[in-house]
Amino acid sequence: MISNHFHVTWTRLRRTPYQTLVSLMVVTLTLFSATIFFLDAAAAHKILRYFESRPQVNAFFKTDVIPNPQQIDLIRTRLEATGLVESFKFISKDEALKIYRDLNASDPLLLEAVTAAMLPASLEVSAKNPSDLKLLAEQLKQAEGIEEVRFEENVVFSLIRWTKSVRTARIALSASQAFITFVVILSVITARVTSRREEIAIYQLLGATAGYISYPFVLYGAIGAASAWLVTYLVFLYSTPFLSSFIFQIPELYPSVVFMLEVLGGELILGSLIGGLGGLFAARRFLRS
Amino acid sequence: MVTARSLTKKFGKIVALQEVDFTVEPGEFVFLTGASGSGKTTVFRLILRDLKPTSGELIVDGHKISQLLSRDLAHYRRHLGPVFQDFKLLPERSVWENVALPLEVRQVKPDDIFASVKIALEMVGLTNRSHLFPSQLSGGELQRVAIARAVVGKPKLLLADEPTGNLDPKTGRGIVSLLKDIHSELKTTVIMATHNADIVNHFSQRVITLESGRVVKDTPKGKYDQ
Repeated sequence: MISNHFHVTWTRLRRTPYQTLVSLMVVTLTLFSATIFFLDAAAAHKILRYFESRPQVNAFFKTDVIPNPQQIDLIRTRLEATGLVESFKFISKDEALKIYRDLNASDPLLLEAVTAAMLPASLEVSAKNPSDLKLLAEQLKQAEGIEEVRFEENVVFSLIRWTKSVRTARIALSASQAFITFVVILSVITARVTSRREEIAIYQLLGATAGYISYPFVLYGAIGAASAWLVTYLVFLYSTPFLSSFIFQIPELYPSVVFMLEVLGGELILGSLIGGLGGLFAARRFLRS
Repeated sequence: MVTARSLTKKFGKIVALQEVDFTVEPGEFVFLTGASGSGKTTVFRLILRDLKPTSGELIVDGHKISQLLSRDLAHYRRHLGPVFQDFKLLPERSVWENVALPLEVRQVKPDDIFASVKIALEMVGLTNRSHLFPSQLSGGELQRVAIARAVVGKPKLLLADEPTGNLDPKTGRGIVSLLKDIHSELKTTVIMATHNADIVNHFSQRVITLESGRVVKDTPKGKYDQ
C-alpha cells in the first residue's frame, strides 16, 4: 500500500513538475523559517538558562573555623535534598588565598599583608532557578560554622523579571509563528487538493476511502518537512564558523546531531499531520458535495 | 439487484424524481431512457450514492442507500462499475494505470492487478493502447478504457450513464455491443441510460422510460418499439 502511495506521489511530481515543485518550495520555505525560528527559540532558552545559572549564593565560614569534609558533605546533602541546587562548590582557605592573590597580583603590598589563616573558607551555591536562591541562602545561614551569607538579591530579582519577560515574548512569538506555519501549509495543501478535485471525485466514485485519498498528501507534507530540515541543517553546518565568533562562550548553543534528529522527527510529524489534515478536509468536503 | 420504491429527489423546489418505482433483477440488462432532464442521471447518482434520496427507498444489492454511512460508502461503491458520458479518466495516468485504479484503491496485490487489467484490456480490445495517455486516444477508445475500468473489479452492477452521448452512431453502437458482450460473459447486471432511440430499438432489451422525473413506461425485453 505504502509503495503504491509513493508511486502515486512520485507520478504526480513527475507529470506536473512545476506545479508540484512550486507548492513544495512554499511548504519547504515556510517550514524552514519555522525551523530557524524554533532553533532560535531553543538557543534563546539556553542563553537564558546560562544567565540564570550565573547568580550564586556565597556562604562564608567563620575565619577561625576550618571546616572538615564531613561538615561540608552534610551541608551539601541537606541543600541537594531540596532539589533546587544547580552547583555546589567548596573554597578552602588556601584556595581563597589563591583567588585573592590572582585578583591582587598587581599590588604586592596587599599580597604581603594577607595569609590563608586570615581568609574564611566559603561555599558557592547556584540554583536551577534563580528565584530559589533566597531559600538556599536561608538554609545556608542555619548551617553550622557559617558566619555570613551573601547574594545580590536585587540583581537576581531583576534578572528573574527580565528572563520571564523574554520567555513570555518568545512563547507568544513562537505560538504566532506556529499558527502562521500551520495556516500557510494547510492553505498550500488545500489548494493542491482543490486543483485535484476532479481526480478526487473519481477516486471516491471508484471506492477510495478518505484515508486512501489523504495518504499522498501526508507524504507530500512529510517530503516538505524533510526538505526544510535538510536545508536548515545545511545552513547551520555552513554558518557554524561564522556563528562561533559570536557564541563561543556558550558551547551548548551548537545544535547536536541528536537534537537535530529530534527536530527532524518533530517536523516529519508536523508536515505529515498538516498534509493529512488538508487531504482529509478536502476529502470530507467533496464527500459532502 | 436494484429496487426503487416511491423514490423522490428534489433540488430545492425542482423535482428531479417523483415517486419512482422499479426493480432490476440480478443479471438483467436494462435501458433507462428519456429526454434530457427526465431524471436518468439522478437515478444513477442516487445508485452511486453521490446523492441522497429526498424520500422513498432505494435498495441496491441489499444496501438501503439512505441509511449508508459515509464510512461505508467506499466499500459499497466497490461493487459498482460506473461508466460516464464524459469518461472521467485521469489525464495524468496511462490507459493501464486508469484501468488499474479501482483495484489500487482496494489495495489489491500488484500481481493480481496486472492479471485483471490485462484481461479487462483484452476484453475491450485495447491491449496495444495500454501505454498511451487519454489525450492520445479517440472518443470510442476513451469510452472503452472507461468500460475496462468499470469491469476490472468484477462489479455486481455496471452503471453506464449515456456512454454513447459523445460518440458518433457507429462507435456508439460498438460501445453498446461491448457492454452487451460483457453482460453475457460476466453475467453482470447492467443499467444503461440513453436517450438514443436507435440504440434502444437495435438492442431490444428491457426499457424503463422516464419523463419529468416519473416512470411512464416499463417495457419488457423484446417489446420496445418507439
